[in-house]
Amino acid sequence: MSTLTQAARPSLLRRWGGLLLWLLLLALLAIYPYTGVTGSALFTATQVFVLVTLASNWNLIGGMTGYVDFGHAVFFGLGAYSMGILVTRVPLAFSPELSFWQALPLAGLVAALFALIIGLPTLRLKGPYFSIAMLGTFVAMREIIRILRPITGGGTGLDLPPVLNRVNEYYFMLGLMGLVVALIWWIRRSEFGYTLIAIREDEIGAEMRGINTTMHKIIAFMIAAFFTGIVGAFWAWQNTYIDPDVVFIEQRTVEMVMMSMLGGLGTVWGPPLGAVVIYFLQDVVWGNLLNFHLMALGILLILLVLFLPEGILGSLGDPSSTSLGRLLRRAGRRQE
Amino acid sequence: MNSQQPLLEGRDVYKFFGGLAAVNGVDFAVYPGEIVGLIGPNGSGKTTLFDCLTRLQTIDKGQIFFKGQEITRVRPYQVARMGLARTFQVIRVYRKMTVLENMLISRQWRGEGLLNMLRPSHPDTERRARHLIQFLQLEHLTDELAGHLSGGQRRLLEIGMALMPDPDILLLDEATSGINPTLIEIIKDRIRTLNREQGKTFLLIEHNINFIADLCSRVYVLNFGEKLAEGTPEEIMENEAVIEAYFGA
Repeated sequence: MSTLTQAARPSLLRRWGGLLLWLLLLALLAIYPYTGVTGSALFTATQVFVLVTLASNWNLIGGMTGYVDFGHAVFFGLGAYSMGILVTRVPLAFSPELSFWQALPLAGLVAALFALIIGLPTLRLKGPYFSIAMLGTFVAMREIIRILRPITGGGTGLDLPPVLNRVNEYYFMLGLMGLVVALIWWIRRSEFGYTLIAIREDEIGAEMRGINTTMHKIIAFMIAAFFTGIVGAFWAWQNTYIDPDVVFIEQRTVEMVMMSMLGGLGTVWGPPLGAVVIYFLQDVVWGNLLNFHLMALGILLILLVLFLPEGILGSLGDPSSTSLGRLLRRAGRRQE
Repeated sequence: MNSQQPLLEGRDVYKFFGGLAAVNGVDFAVYPGEIVGLIGPNGSGKTTLFDCLTRLQTIDKGQIFFKGQEITRVRPYQVARMGLARTFQVIRVYRKMTVLENMLISRQWRGEGLLNMLRPSHPDTERRARHLIQFLQLEHLTDELAGHLSGGQRRLLEIGMALMPDPDILLLDEATSGINPTLIEIIKDRIRTLNREQGKTFLLIEHNINFIADLCSRVYVLNFGEKLAEGTPEEIMENEAVIEAYFGA
């Protein structure tokens, strides 16, 4: 259980097992493009990696720190627009033109800087007030992007140079996902991770015990925003076209929340698991309930909150804490 | 009167909630090595005063000093880092962490670089945590989730968490509330040991008068936010105004 300590950890396998399995999975995924798969299959896999990365990032602030961010897609949008502006607009003023690799870290930095600016006031808010403030930030940013037509292209959007290299896209997102999940794993077992959980559990208590809660929250928020911005930048590069209505969509945040909740809020492996399940679930829902897919996802979210509030992995950790866990225990008792 | 500089001092402290003066011009001082009691009827402003001292609440007027330094405008985490620790009337432990993890997260935070924070706890911190867990007789619960402990055990854990950063003064808010007599004796014994052997200073809010009488050298009494009396436990127990405030007679 304890990963905060050096000596309290029970075994080497338990300490490092999760990371080793993750590296093994990454190694297997690394050879996937050489198994004769189609470009379409690679694209699907890349989309799953995008979702896993987004969910893991959201989990850092929403799951571990307990600040449920309903506007997290704003960082995705900022990353995408930073990429778009840097590769299409900046070269008009400066040459030589910026490449994807030059623009990518800048896009992440823009998102992280915005997280710092917006986090300083909003992270003072508690519970639903923070969530609503971030939702407002998201909507406001979409409108700002729409209004700043000379820079952002307004409602017409921006066209990025087409690349269309599915293998490169696959490896880029595989690497980014691997890095983000490993980072979250590391944070979760570090003192920093435990301070985030302490803030989630009892922020006043954490502050009274000498933890600079503001600084910890801001750092977590900036890390989450940085990598979400990078994913947004990648998405813009892959999609080759961005406009406010395809980049700044509320559903992206809803997906991050759902994936984290389904897998297990605050856990390392829960959001990746939730992302994979939700992606394929969405595929089924899209295929069978085209006109009602959003309603179906909404119902799924309600059911999740009602019966599996701690997600799949959270329930495995302490089954008695979930409604589903209690039902299973009751069923077990009846059989006895 | 003590000739030393007070460790913790409040000068003319006021705290208002709307038109209600929860703390009304209170002066007090706690000197190094003392165990001081703070008593009063329900709603007399004891916990509000604690909250003001630890900067959980901002004060409306007056000054607060700790180790001779004014802390009236300092943030709570900075006060904690200066060596002032407290427990709460409603127990605050991290229910989803183990006893050991609760102790480790309450370590001394002196300033933290991100790279340092990304490491697991230092072995010395863990040694101290385990020592305190043993000192508080919780060693059989070291790896148990705090949420699974009894109320009394959680009280002990909270005291242990307050002790983790090796503070100069501990403010314990109703440490014996809802606890069985055996655990009360353990808490009393541990406070006495820490005071005698390590010179720790305590400020205790209590309704358990025997507990106060056994431990404290001085007692402050609050009533309606004002300081009603100050003296030794014997003097306080014979004070007419205190008796009237408590029993209305």
